[in-house]
Amino acid sequence: MRQIQNMKRKLLSHKLMMISSSIIFFMIVLALFASFFAPNDPNLVDIAQKLHGPSSQFPLGTDHLGRCILSRLIFGTQTSLGTAFLVMGLMMMISISLGIFAGYTGGKVDYIFMRICDILMAFPSFLLSLALVGILGPGLVNLILAMVLVQWVFYARVIRGMVLSVKEQNFVLAAKICGTPKLVIIIKHILPAIISQVVVLIFMDIGGIILAISSLSFLGLGIQPPEAEWGMMINDSKPFFRNYPSLMLYPGMIIFIVVIAFNLFGEALRDALHIKKE
Amino acid sequence: MLFKRSKLLSLLFVLLLMFVTGCSNTPKGSENTSPKDNEKVVTFSMTGDIGDLNPHTYFPNEFFSQAMVYESLVNYGEGGEIQPWLAESWDVSKDGKEYVFHLREGVKFSDGSQFNAAIVKKNFDTILDNRKQHDWVELINQIKGTEVVDDYTFKLTLHNSYYPTLQELAYIRPLRFVGEAAFPASQDTFKDGLKSQIGTGPWVLSEYKKNEFAVFERNEQYWGTKPQVDKVIVKVITDGESRVLAFEKKELDFIFGNGVISQDSFQFLKDSGKYETKLSEPTATRTLLFNTNKEATKDHKVRLALNYAFNKKAVIDNIFYGMEQKADTLFPPVLDYTKINIDPYEYDTEKAEQLLDEAGWKKVEGKPFREKDGKELQLEFLFNSTDNIQKSIAEFVQGDFRKLGIDIKLTSQETTTFWTTAFQGKYDLLFTSTWAVPFDPHSYLASITTDSENGGPDYTALLGLPEKKEIDKKIKKVLLTTDEKERKKLYTDILTTLHDQAVYLPISFQSNIAVYHKNISGVDFLPQEAEVPLTTIDVN
Repeated sequence: MRQIQNMKRKLLSHKLMMISSSIIFFMIVLALFASFFAPNDPNLVDIAQKLHGPSSQFPLGTDHLGRCILSRLIFGTQTSLGTAFLVMGLMMMISISLGIFAGYTGGKVDYIFMRICDILMAFPSFLLSLALVGILGPGLVNLILAMVLVQWVFYARVIRGMVLSVKEQNFVLAAKICGTPKLVIIIKHILPAIISQVVVLIFMDIGGIILAISSLSFLGLGIQPPEAEWGMMINDSKPFFRNYPSLMLYPGMIIFIVVIAFNLFGEALRDALHIKKE
Repeated sequence: MLFKRSKLLSLLFVLLLMFVTGCSNTPKGSENTSPKDNEKVVTFSMTGDIGDLNPHTYFPNEFFSQAMVYESLVNYGEGGEIQPWLAESWDVSKDGKEYVFHLREGVKFSDGSQFNAAIVKKNFDTILDNRKQHDWVELINQIKGTEVVDDYTFKLTLHNSYYPTLQELAYIRPLRFVGEAAFPASQDTFKDGLKSQIGTGPWVLSEYKKNEFAVFERNEQYWGTKPQVDKVIVKVITDGESRVLAFEKKELDFIFGNGVISQDSFQFLKDSGKYETKLSEPTATRTLLFNTNKEATKDHKVRLALNYAFNKKAVIDNIFYGMEQKADTLFPPVLDYTKINIDPYEYDTEKAEQLLDEAGWKKVEGKPFREKDGKELQLEFLFNSTDNIQKSIAEFVQGDFRKLGIDIKLTSQETTTFWTTAFQGKYDLLFTSTWAVPFDPHSYLASITTDSENGGPDYTALLGLPEKKEIDKKIKKVLLTTDEKERKKLYTDILTTLHDQAVYLPISFQSNIAVYHKNISGVDFLPQEAEVPLTTIDVN
């Protein structure tokens, strides 16, 4: 009985993995070849074509400035995913190095590091990013800065925890006894031991980051016009949502699908790795 | 990992919350102001807080609320006719330097104290103590002395004969009157504010919560025509869409003003057929102002090119749904002295491109924007984010100018920061408008000549103009010209120079809009653009 359940779960996670990873793959391809897929220039304003319905020229119609919605959605993939990956990458660079350093060194360094984490984590992270962007001023660079500066602590803390459990294991102790230099131990022994968990962490959270970027852009704090971004497209469609709800629906749907896809992928990945370990 | 998922959920929740709060911006506490039986109440909303309701100070005070509580000696009536108000009549000396006002007797402030010549002088004197703050009103600079002749006679002496004297006395600020009990201990109402809001006007402030709402009750001692309703509630709603939703939910009885909702929303409400809508005659000019101190916009050719590059017709047809008229001059040609014969800069992209080329901003192969000496042609366009119309025009301009190789960087700021940035001159293009009557054209032009923090940003913007000194001299001269013909000639001269220099890019003549439920009557437009017709409004 248990075996069957296990099988089922495996299959299900496999199926979810298939669906979600194909969505993610599709989105990444879309982002990379945006100019190839987009039927029109996403920033070309033609006010005479304002708020038109779907047509052969504009498959999803036009927005309030007569720009092609489909093209803007496709180019939005570039900005949204690109920014999210960039934020994630920067965050990981900071949190992996600091997390491992603190976790491996231990003692006072670790203590100070933990207190810094405590302080930063005492604030609601989204509000703190909001405040930071407010101070720095709206814009893509400031948005990335604000998110990275606030959120790295969460990952650094988790990574530190992973390191703590790994560093007491026999293979690390053995390496230590052999007199292997610290840096080599970290790179050759500790990093490989935790990297799979870190990857899961990344995929579990990238959806949240996409959402946060869209939220900030919705508030006018992130990506600035005319660049296309999903959150901003929702904000732009606010005045028209009674007459043209589709304007708001399309970017909303895309955000929903992408975030769900990343989440399911992350969970499937976690389950898969978990089962492997068993 | 459970914690991670809850974080994601909370983000989703925040997004949802933003929608919900964005949609219903009902001020808390308005429950306490629920109407008693048979009490007539109207509710409307404004984009900002009414401030400390002091007629002698400026932002964040709103014109409309100052006009509700405080009154002037004379009134600016229909078609610019000066009507008796707190002064029943007046005599002007032959040389035009002495004005004697015979005050209305029996007028009382809302605290019961008498309105008389002494309190008029007291108000004038505190305003004159802060002359520098008010010097955008040329009359303030012209006043030589104030004198109480008897209880109900007040004399004003001027340095020169100044033709718009009566017109400027009708302004909503600063020449309006507060009661004796409102003066602070220092007697300086500008620096120390008011002790309480006591005026002679038809309304009295009864309840106020900063950034949420203000409640005005009818002044039962009012000397003039009393308002129809007992109470007016003014809610602060910053977002235009929230305002429309609140109106549809009947939380608001009417929407009034300019830029308070987007043209799309106005059109939507109009087409629904469920509400009454009105559009006023053109009041002022929506215009862009070029900063002549900046590298690109300092160049006359660039300014000209941008004037030619702007497709006004497309904006009017598609953003304004044809509701506004195209503007080619800084002021609507229906005002005194503003009918001038000029060749308008008609939309012509070829000419614009040619001018940009001549100015040295040339197209570069493979690059989207024009360059001069390796520098991209990027112009910063500053606009007010609380205005619901400016954004769509700004975005249109950005998209349209892009086709000509001009990179427009949009900067939107909310009202307070917007004006600070504007006065500091940190922009290339500024979205602004003229001030409407009774300020247009003479006060608006006068503000160009003075570096007053309560005037306009035009002074700083025009500093880079070689002709600035000459223009200033002419404006100063025209204000003191007594001969009608000479005055007309000078105005034509000034306005023509401004047009030739292309420092402004007039877009359209803006109007006030009104949308109201069918049980509301008396929503008419008043001669002063900023006034809300609260005395005539009635609920049936």
